[in-house]
Amino acid sequence: MRQGRAWRRGIASCVGRGEAIAEAIASPLRRAHHPVADLRHHLGLLVRLVGAQVRSQLQYRVSFTMDFVSSFLMFGFEFGALAALFVRFETLGGWTLGEVAFMGGLTAVSFKTMDMLFSGFDPPAFGEHVRKGTFDAILLRPAPLTLQVLGSRFVLMRVGAIAEGVAVFALALWLVDVHWTAAKLAFLPLVVIGQLAFFAALFVIGSTVTFWTVDSIEAMNILTYGGHELNQYPAHIYPLGLRRFFTYVVPTLFLAYYPTLYLLDKPDPTGMPSWVRFVGPVIGLGAFAGAMAIWHIGIRHYRSTGT
Amino acid sequence: MLLYAIARQSFRRHLTYRAAAAAGLLTNFFFGIVRVAVLTALYDGRPEAAGITLPAAITFTALSQAVIGPLAAFSWFDVMRSVHSGEIAGDLLRPMGYLTYWLAHDFGRALTQFLLRGVPMLIGYVLLFPWIAPAGTHFVWPQGGAMWAATGVCAVLAWLISFGWRFLSNLSAFWSPDARGIIRFVFSLSWFASGFLFPLRYFPDWLQRLCALTPFAYTVNAITEVYLGLQQGGDVVRLLAIQAAWAAALLAAGALVLRAGVRRLVILGG
Repeated sequence: MRQGRAWRRGIASCVGRGEAIAEAIASPLRRAHHPVADLRHHLGLLVRLVGAQVRSQLQYRVSFTMDFVSSFLMFGFEFGALAALFVRFETLGGWTLGEVAFMGGLTAVSFKTMDMLFSGFDPPAFGEHVRKGTFDAILLRPAPLTLQVLGSRFVLMRVGAIAEGVAVFALALWLVDVHWTAAKLAFLPLVVIGQLAFFAALFVIGSTVTFWTVDSIEAMNILTYGGHELNQYPAHIYPLGLRRFFTYVVPTLFLAYYPTLYLLDKPDPTGMPSWVRFVGPVIGLGAFAGAMAIWHIGIRHYRSTGT
Repeated sequence: MLLYAIARQSFRRHLTYRAAAAAGLLTNFFFGIVRVAVLTALYDGRPEAAGITLPAAITFTALSQAVIGPLAAFSWFDVMRSVHSGEIAGDLLRPMGYLTYWLAHDFGRALTQFLLRGVPMLIGYVLLFPWIAPAGTHFVWPQGGAMWAATGVCAVLAWLISFGWRFLSNLSAFWSPDARGIIRFVFSLSWFASGFLFPLRYFPDWLQRLCALTPFAYTVNAITEVYLGLQQGGDVVRLLAIQAAWAAALLAAGALVLRAGVRRLVILGG
């Protein structure tokens, strides 16, 4: 009986929300165009779309809690295993546990936040839309495409992994005596934003590629998840070929390793000029701009699968 | 005979996804290389640590990546899905036990994964060894026929244990619609305690002892120990015996929990 009522209420509120979203999408058609008003409208729309996702995922509270705990622990165990090795080996490529945790925490926070914000652009999930033809429905709606893709999926569960990244970073701050300066404090958020933008760019490019082929997703995984893995350890331990590829072809290493050298005042065994420590955020945002350009080219050449 | 037929069907079905296997292989190999770099840096010129030489440690990374497929080390929700979707109703009507059915099915899957991902991974490591390991060192193989045989037996028992805990954790689907979170938690625990991330020998003693209390330690870590010859003679026999005991215990527990689950199962028609 109670369940039945709750169910009916759920349906009613779903219908209500659906109408609200449809209303929000359609409203600019009735409004005169004005850049600031448009931007506000679009942001409002994104908040509504994401809000709907968040609400629906929070409906199953036990499920959410379990997922939160398990994704927190999953990365916790991985870091714990590495930490346990430091008892025996003491350093990794001349870095202490705290220093490795500093970079690992920074990378985890950036990557997992990106993974949550850009869930809609996660290539396997986006590729499904293209393959099934549901992407066509998005094209028909009178709202910016990119915004709709962003709002189409929001994996709230990732906050567990983000929390784990924050915990590892906090542990690092406790273990390492960082010589903070105003410049470093200002640079730190830029490092996070740069890395977030860089991996978001890889997600967007990976999604764009699915307009042409869905077979290449695994190969993209090496760049995204592989890149995330690489940015957890000091880069000078990698073989030269690997390092060169992720420096000059896919410049992943500029996003975490070199900025960390600056933040922790570490020497650079790779012998790069000292200014490369600061280019990370620029590369990240540049890659993101480039990815958006590729994305728009992809949309223009999109041919529906017809399903 | 029926078991053989199911295993063969499962083998064929998984063999269809060769392209996916090749791509997965490449990803596993990449992560293997990163692990080699991390271990080499940790060794930092030491000839050996915790009784494991550097070439043996590098061989371990090959083994750990090679078992991902056969032991389904990342995820396995098949039984959970069959319970949640109601497909289990059809499975229960089969002229054989539900557990036996999945055991045969998983054997076929593990065998394909071993051939498509395990063996090529080892071959890839052997071919690329001169580039990824210090000069003058070699890929490590089990020493002598007896150790090869022991490694084979150990690997089969490891698969049985792995199936045992995967099946058992999937059965939580009978009680909870949130089984995915529970299963995922068990998997993340297994990464740590099975010696999949790093051989357990590297850990501090108390942590090794803690891990040895779980069945996970008798999967990847047992294979590492026997393959690399870290255990010899009677110790190997003892290890295999413990493995067999864990496998039997987990399968028995699986059968018991399954019976309790099926009793409370309600299938809705439609």
